[in-house]
Amino acid sequence: MDPIPTCEVVGPAEVETVVEFRAVSKWYGNVIGLNKLSTRIPRGVIGLLGPNGAGKSTFLQLATGQLYPSQGAVRVLGQPVWNNPGINRFIGLCPEQDAFYEWMTGMDFVSTCARLNGMGRAKARAAAEKALGLVGMTPNMNRAIRGYSKGMRQRTKLAQALVHEPRVLFLDEPLSGTDPIARRDLIDVIRDMGAAGRSVLVSSHVLHEVQALTSNIVLLHRGRLVAEGNVREIRDLIDKHPHHIVLVCDRCRALASRLASCEDVDGIQFLDAESRLLVQTRKPDTFYARLPALSLEDGLAIREVYSEDDNLEAVFKYLVTK
Amino acid sequence: MNPVTSLKNNIEASEVRRFPGAELSGLAALFVLSLRQQTRGRKLLVLVLLYALPCALAIVLRSLSRPAPADILEFALIYGLVPHALAPLTALLYAGGMIQDEVEEQTLTYLLVRPLPRPALYVCKLLATLLLTTVLVTAATTALYLAIYWNTTEIWDGSITRRMVQTAGIMSLGQVGYCSLFGCLGVLTRRTLIAGVIYIVVVEGLLANLRFMVRSLTVVYYVRVLAIRWLDLPQQIFDRWQKDWGLSLDQIPDGNSCVLKLLGFGVAITLVAALGFSRREFRMKTPEGG
Repeated sequence: MDPIPTCEVVGPAEVETVVEFRAVSKWYGNVIGLNKLSTRIPRGVIGLLGPNGAGKSTFLQLATGQLYPSQGAVRVLGQPVWNNPGINRFIGLCPEQDAFYEWMTGMDFVSTCARLNGMGRAKARAAAEKALGLVGMTPNMNRAIRGYSKGMRQRTKLAQALVHEPRVLFLDEPLSGTDPIARRDLIDVIRDMGAAGRSVLVSSHVLHEVQALTSNIVLLHRGRLVAEGNVREIRDLIDKHPHHIVLVCDRCRALASRLASCEDVDGIQFLDAESRLLVQTRKPDTFYARLPALSLEDGLAIREVYSEDDNLEAVFKYLVTK
Repeated sequence: MNPVTSLKNNIEASEVRRFPGAELSGLAALFVLSLRQQTRGRKLLVLVLLYALPCALAIVLRSLSRPAPADILEFALIYGLVPHALAPLTALLYAGGMIQDEVEEQTLTYLLVRPLPRPALYVCKLLATLLLTTVLVTAATTALYLAIYWNTTEIWDGSITRRMVQTAGIMSLGQVGYCSLFGCLGVLTRRTLIAGVIYIVVVEGLLANLRFMVRSLTVVYYVRVLAIRWLDLPQQIFDRWQKDWGLSLDQIPDGNSCVLKLLGFGVAITLVAALGFSRREFRMKTPEGG
């Protein structure tokens, strides 16, 4: 794959807002898509997370001016997006739907998209070749799209979003249905785009996918903003929910008995035939502070400590299902 | 995530200004794309087969031992079947589907996220559709003229060629009315095909044949008036067409007035549709329904 060209960024490399939702609601008849959602998405690679039906696609369709908010205001790069075609020169969208002009070749499709952006024929062709090169589609770019695999189709969709070198990229489930190799390649491309200075908002309902891309997330559930920020910062927000910490030691029963008397421990569960302990605590800092002393106590020797809370999946469970 | 400290990544309003050159280039690409889309698929095949039927019928009727009179066939097939059924059906299939097909195939997204004003996007697609349907209807009428007059001396003396050209012009004007109307229907309703067929049968089929003022609201009426005004018909045929259509020269509008009315109707309804298109949301179905 070709290297990602760097993007000229206005202003210093500090955190800046690229997408702003102000008390945005969106209804489809009686069904609510987004509910009074306010957020400011900063520059960089951001994951938009939520289960199916959370409102991620509605969010992206509002951010790209395809939908009009029932209430509130949506701005991208400080400009309103609805019926503002000029802003489209600065944004790119990789839609979720697996839709193409199937009779076209990948090259034809991406260069047509470039031409729709106002480029001349030669410039569009050069831009399409470059974009297809970035996503590793050069060897297949002259084949008809109808014969592409899912991975190739996702790469081609990404290329059409990149072809005019936008400042902000909206990627709706870009890894959906791809094979491991395409997934790895696409993750590399998206990471490189972020490193090159582009702002990328990636939606997904698969948490480990986003975890591979960024630690900055926006979490949606039933049209509402549940949390936003760094995974670790989000964890701080959820201290009211018990943290799950796994302890591995040889004398789990003795350790459990010792922990049962601690005020900061809410629950204890044996795992894997009593070789591990799952501890629930609402005061993780206090608990972690106690562990060195506990480990030094007679024969307890805790061999391993890890928290599932470092995984986005756990954060998601905490914030969405509780 | 750090708190938001500034909006320095914002772009100035002047940066999102429109670039007419780039927009025109984008619209030209859209025009070509629309033509390429519409010359593919089953619609064209279905229409070619549909057009072939009256041509075959004309050839059969003209090949009988007592061939059907050519002028009767011209009246029934070219000025009856085409403006009443084939031309509006062509416009309905193409203009009615030009946006809805993109919505159903979920490709409209690729157009809406381009720096093209929505009204211009609609008008551009309509112009491409109008060009294609005009070419199709012109080809159909030309084929019909050839099928009807192929074994007559008139085809060689230039009068039929002249009528073919005049008819192509009249049918093109008819297509302006039909395409703009069905294009508008495609934006305003999801049941374009049903609404369009009802319109063709009730308005262009029934109302156009009622000898009241109401028929002047139909496209067929103007096609007939233009045929009376513009075609170089032999007097006997001219009188018969007038009588059959119930049109008398002293009561019908002149040719220029008909042209202006058809074009004016087309422009007005296209503006309404373009405005509707620019305000309408097109929500793409997603696998997750999110």
